[in-house]
Amino acid sequence: MDFSSLYDSLALIKPEIIISVTLVLIVVLDLIYDKNKKLVPYLALLGLIVSGIYILSDIANEGFAFKMSATSNKFGLLALDSFGSYFKLLIILTSVLIVFFAKHSVEIENTGKRQGEFYTLLFGMILGMMFMVSASDLIMIYVSMELLSFSSYVLAGFIKLRDRNSEASLKYIIFGGVASGVMLFGISLIYGLTGTTNLYSINAALQSGNINLIVLGFSLLLIVAGIGYKISAVPFHFWTPDVYEGAPISITAFLSVASKAAGFAILIRFIKTAFVTNVDGSGNWLLVPVFDWKTLISVFAILTMTLGNFAALWQDNLKRMLAYSSIAHAGYLLLGVVVFSQIGIEAILIYFAIYMLMNLGSFYIVMLIADKTGSEDIHDYSGLGYVTPFLGVSFAVFLVSLTGLPPTAGFIGKLYLFIALIDAKMTTLAVIAVLNSVVSLYYYIRVLKHMFLTKPNGEVKEIKLSTANVVYVIVLLIPVLVLGIYFSPLVNFAESCLAFLSF
Amino acid sequence: METIGLNHFLVVSAILFSLGIYSVVTRKNAIMVLMGIELILNSANINFVAFSKYGNYGLGGQVTALFVIILAAAEAAIALAIVLNLYKTFTHINIDEIDELNS
Amino acid sequence: MLTEFGKIFVFILLAGGFVAIALVAASLIRPKRPTKEKLKTYECGEDPVGSPWVRFNIRFYVVALIFIIFDVEVVMLFPWALVYKNFGVYGFIVGAIFLLVLFLGMAYEWRKGDLEWARPKIEPPKMDIKFKPEIAPRPVEEKTVSEVE
Repeated sequence: MDFSSLYDSLALIKPEIIISVTLVLIVVLDLIYDKNKKLVPYLALLGLIVSGIYILSDIANEGFAFKMSATSNKFGLLALDSFGSYFKLLIILTSVLIVFFAKHSVEIENTGKRQGEFYTLLFGMILGMMFMVSASDLIMIYVSMELLSFSSYVLAGFIKLRDRNSEASLKYIIFGGVASGVMLFGISLIYGLTGTTNLYSINAALQSGNINLIVLGFSLLLIVAGIGYKISAVPFHFWTPDVYEGAPISITAFLSVASKAAGFAILIRFIKTAFVTNVDGSGNWLLVPVFDWKTLISVFAILTMTLGNFAALWQDNLKRMLAYSSIAHAGYLLLGVVVFSQIGIEAILIYFAIYMLMNLGSFYIVMLIADKTGSEDIHDYSGLGYVTPFLGVSFAVFLVSLTGLPPTAGFIGKLYLFIALIDAKMTTLAVIAVLNSVVSLYYYIRVLKHMFLTKPNGEVKEIKLSTANVVYVIVLLIPVLVLGIYFSPLVNFAESCLAFLSF
Repeated sequence: METIGLNHFLVVSAILFSLGIYSVVTRKNAIMVLMGIELILNSANINFVAFSKYGNYGLGGQVTALFVIILAAAEAAIALAIVLNLYKTFTHINIDEIDELNS
Repeated sequence: MLTEFGKIFVFILLAGGFVAIALVAASLIRPKRPTKEKLKTYECGEDPVGSPWVRFNIRFYVVALIFIIFDVEVVMLFPWALVYKNFGVYGFIVGAIFLLVLFLGMAYEWRKGDLEWARPKIEPPKMDIKFKPEIAPRPVEEKTVSEVE
């Protein structure tokens, strides 16, 4: 037997191998030191950083890993390209931030001996996401998505102290199980239609014609339901507010950023690889006419934005409000998919990097306040802005950035999305998105109003921050402010990461 | 003479899929909902094996079915553990009455 | 000519008929002398105690969960075992890594105590000294012991 192609494949997935090895090492460390879990976060950080270095150094190293057979079929289970690498970097960066997040979180600290399990499951999620963003086979997509889901089901109910944790994980697993089952059924139909599960071979089969487009459209809808659940697009969003509110806040932050990024990566790769027949000179995609792609995704995007923003208006619980706001942001991001061009994808890449910073920042501040006051209710935020001006001001910056106002980074993210829309002559969508941003301004500002302008009922205690807390906030704050003014490095990097592996 | 062909398998799997969705939507007991999810997964499995046998697509479909079986078992184990945790906090598993999080 | 479904139908008919005939014939032939002993639920000769619908200990459940996982992982080993010879050392290493991960899971359960059938600790009866906190425990103990004697 000739194993050279297998060795080549292993060389291509070094970052994933390092993540897996770290996972195993965390389990071993957890078993050796039963009482003391101080070392575990550092081991996790080490693994993440080494893996990140490998991603950066191999960013130009492209190719298919795990080919079906060495001769007849050159497409593999994984397609390693710069698009995937960008998302992998994003995931690794988010994970590093989340490890610090969890280290500072009192909730996680209180789980004591179970902290080892927390990091093990976190690495399960990371591994699933990293395979997801480069999966080019429907089965690989399904398996990696389930790896991500299973870990996150458990993590959503990780803190057993309160009722709402177990309720969150139950709702998550029921919705998730149905969504992934439905998606698998769609995959099985596509397998029956085309005789393959590989996205590239599906594309070839579609271009050769004689595929029943009605059945294909139906199975596509089923698969889109599964992916839509992961990115919490609107008809499949029911789990989001409940799970985000019930889960430990570090996991909520992780789900809202990294899990969504992986979902978007898989959605884009799925459409790009399996259904794009040709890319014209200006970077627009020509799609297989299964159904009216633009209308379908536009409807999803409009529904997602509008419902997310309007539902967020009535929320008093900050975590729940941020959950609806993250649904709304999924809607904005879908606008980048709607245009079906390289510019749209570039806008998504830029937006995700910024969204990660500002969203993690807001969740971190909510966590700091919840750890000290024990409440996530907006009415308990009254007067906090004066007592701890640092928290108040930085929260204001994050929220303004989430709204998308200059001079913060959120403005740049939205700007690129709107430019992509106007380039594609979809002005109506752009107008709807701007109107939505105006709505979102209301509920973000409402928080600030409570923090700075509402008179508190009793005396407000000062929230004492450790140096680590301040450093963490500043680390997130500086890029949010700087990227609002000096954003060309990010844009250039995103531009260089648009390559998908082609045939 | 009518032989049992691909269509029969597809009909069975479609029926299973519908039953699974039906039980997810209508049942109140969390365990029953999870059984509905298993039905959905198994209907997809039948599709995979049938297509791979009658479509002459090689063994890919059957290997996929193996993966799905394992994932279904893992999902069932996690789901049952979560239901057990839920039972400890609520002392029942009627999902209609578990709505602490609706504000 | 029977279709394939017809064959299955005939098979079901035959199977059902066979069971029905056997049971009916047996009930006609056998002597019928019920006693109280015979009507009892059969539990290996023991007298049944209480209702069979008792709550089981939660630990059965944990063991069952663990069993499901490990049982189904074996499915992965069947395809591997079929082609293992073609792959030589490489195949062996791949299988070994898989089993190693499984073993790690096993070790994890062991160490976390999920495999232990921890019995509730039987507290030895102690003298209650809570009500006299001022008195040092030692003299009290001696006193009580002497009282008991």
